Amino acid sequence: MPAAFTELDPRTRTATVRLQGDIVVRTSQQLYGQLRGVARRRGIRKVIVDFAEAGRFDSSGLAVMALGARLMARGGKAFDVAHLSETHRAALDLLPQTEAAAPAGADDDPGGWVQRVGAGVLDYYAAAGEFRALVIDVAREAALLAARRKRLPAGELLHQASVMGVDAIGIVGLLGVLLGTTLGFQALVLLERFGAGVFAADMIGLSMVREFGPMMTAIILTGRTGAAIAAELGTMRVRSELDALAAMGISPTRFLLLPRLLALTWVQPALSLMAMFLGIAGGMVVTAVAMHLPPDVFWARIIERVTIGDFVHGITKSVIFAWIIGLTGCHFGMRTTGDAASVGQATTRTVVVGVFFIILVDAAAATLGALL
Amino acid sequence: MTDDAGPVVACRGLSVGFGQTPVLVDIDLAVERGTIVALLGGSGCGKSTLLRALTGLQPPLAGEVRLLGDDLYALDADGRRGLLRRTGMAFQQDALFGSMSVLDNVAMPVRELTRLPEIVIREMARIKLALVGLAGFEHRSPNSLSGGQRKRAALARASILDPEVVFCDEPSAGLDPVVAAGIDDTLKRFRDALGVTIVIVTHELESIRAIADRAIMLGGGRVIAAGTVAELEQSDDQDVYNFFHRIAASPAGPASSPLDRMTHARTP
Repeated sequence: MPAAFTELDPRTRTATVRLQGDIVVRTSQQLYGQLRGVARRRGIRKVIVDFAEAGRFDSSGLAVMALGARLMARGGKAFDVAHLSETHRAALDLLPQTEAAAPAGADDDPGGWVQRVGAGVLDYYAAAGEFRALVIDVAREAALLAARRKRLPAGELLHQASVMGVDAIGIVGLLGVLLGTTLGFQALVLLERFGAGVFAADMIGLSMVREFGPMMTAIILTGRTGAAIAAELGTMRVRSELDALAAMGISPTRFLLLPRLLALTWVQPALSLMAMFLGIAGGMVVTAVAMHLPPDVFWARIIERVTIGDFVHGITKSVIFAWIIGLTGCHFGMRTTGDAASVGQATTRTVVVGVFFIILVDAAAATLGALL
Repeated sequence: MTDDAGPVVACRGLSVGFGQTPVLVDIDLAVERGTIVALLGGSGCGKSTLLRALTGLQPPLAGEVRLLGDDLYALDADGRRGLLRRTGMAFQQDALFGSMSVLDNVAMPVRELTRLPEIVIREMARIKLALVGLAGFEHRSPNSLSGGQRKRAALARASILDPEVVFCDEPSAGLDPVVAAGIDDTLKRFRDALGVTIVIVTHELESIRAIADRAIMLGGGRVIAAGTVAELEQSDDQDVYNFFHRIAASPAGPASSPLDRMTHARTP
């Protein structure tokens, strides 16, 4: 059954739209079509909507009536209703009387591309400023802590270290071994050809200690810990927990950031060290099985070639990586605004920016190492 | 369709709890069509839990919930969803989606659940926003609204598809009296003009007196009183009397001050 049918009276130039049955979500689209059709007719001066046979009326019907009235007004046609029942009148009374003007300056309009680029640049500067303030604040709080003027929340450092470190031992160890075996096979392909298979130990040992141990650990911890820090702080921002801390006069830097940063500072080198040795062990197994290089020879070459300096290089980098991960996670977590999407954005940015700077620092360190 | 005569919301022998500890025991209640019913009771008495059970969010340990004549928890997932589409819920924390504009928040259920043209959907949302007094706020982000405005936007979203029942958890808690009265007026308009049945959880005596047709008072996990607001105000029950006359509950025993208990604990 159609929701409405239209009768045209050419003599009085009037169109009568007779509603049939319920005007609800299922049927109001039809009514809208009819009203639009009538609005387009040139000969019509006046449109009457007849409610005599109309049934229930819901919000969608109401919306269609409001749209119809506007269409007719735009087309210069008179619009009227007939045979309203009491309930229909009550429903139509719910329509806003006039089009409310928007309060000035209310729209959160993203604007054109020029504005968006401008906003992006401003946001970048604001972010850089906030990051500088964050680093200064962290340094200040760390100094106060070292001078024993302030203390960390009880047990928090150990708790963070166990969440960030102990819980990551499995994955970091497994990937360390796998990376070592991959390096072993690479050495096999490259060095066996020149009959220099015995140097596989040098290659595996140096790459694991100087590059891959710290690097791989850093990338795992960016995804695991950096993202977690950002998500946790972001959710705390959304739930006003950070505001609660500030209102209590407690520095969020000392209460939240410092335990995380300090825990990372000693967890990251420890995990890197573990990854180095497990990688070397993986390489040792592969070279022993595939190249018949005796493990004691392999080990002797490692001891001869890999110096304390190489360990210092790798461990120093891993501490720098820890700070990159911790500070990016804290920075983007603290910058979260009130909505759920911004928490997701904070974790994404932490991982992308964190990995970017880790690789940048690694490249810079390798370049410097080669030049000096 | 459901018959219009029976209660819109009813539960029988309803027990709700977390794990094995029941919060509500053996609740019976019935809400008639086109009325506003207030659920009352002290903090932690299970009002919000009851509301969650009535809206399908908290499966009961025992008993049944009948919504618009159907047994809510006997339906399969699709049936339950279909039934819940005929109801609306305004949460205590407005639960607006922060990544959408106010208009999109209100229009979202229509967009997702119907095939109406976009222009009609936007008009529906605009009318509902005007009805709750938020005309002109369509393109704002929910984060830029005040608490009262957010609650009203949540009410607009809960009622956009003309639900037969609207559940509101503390619609006017924490708002100033003028804004709270505005929300009361909006709820009354929903009842009078649209025939909506409304179940509200509230602490506000003002708003209970102003809008509630009936009130149901919970205490100790049970219904301790039910009736019109006038009847409850005349009630002899101690807890009900205290609630309506703002009398603080006295501590457990008469002769056991904290100091007494401490000194007794020290001397065996």
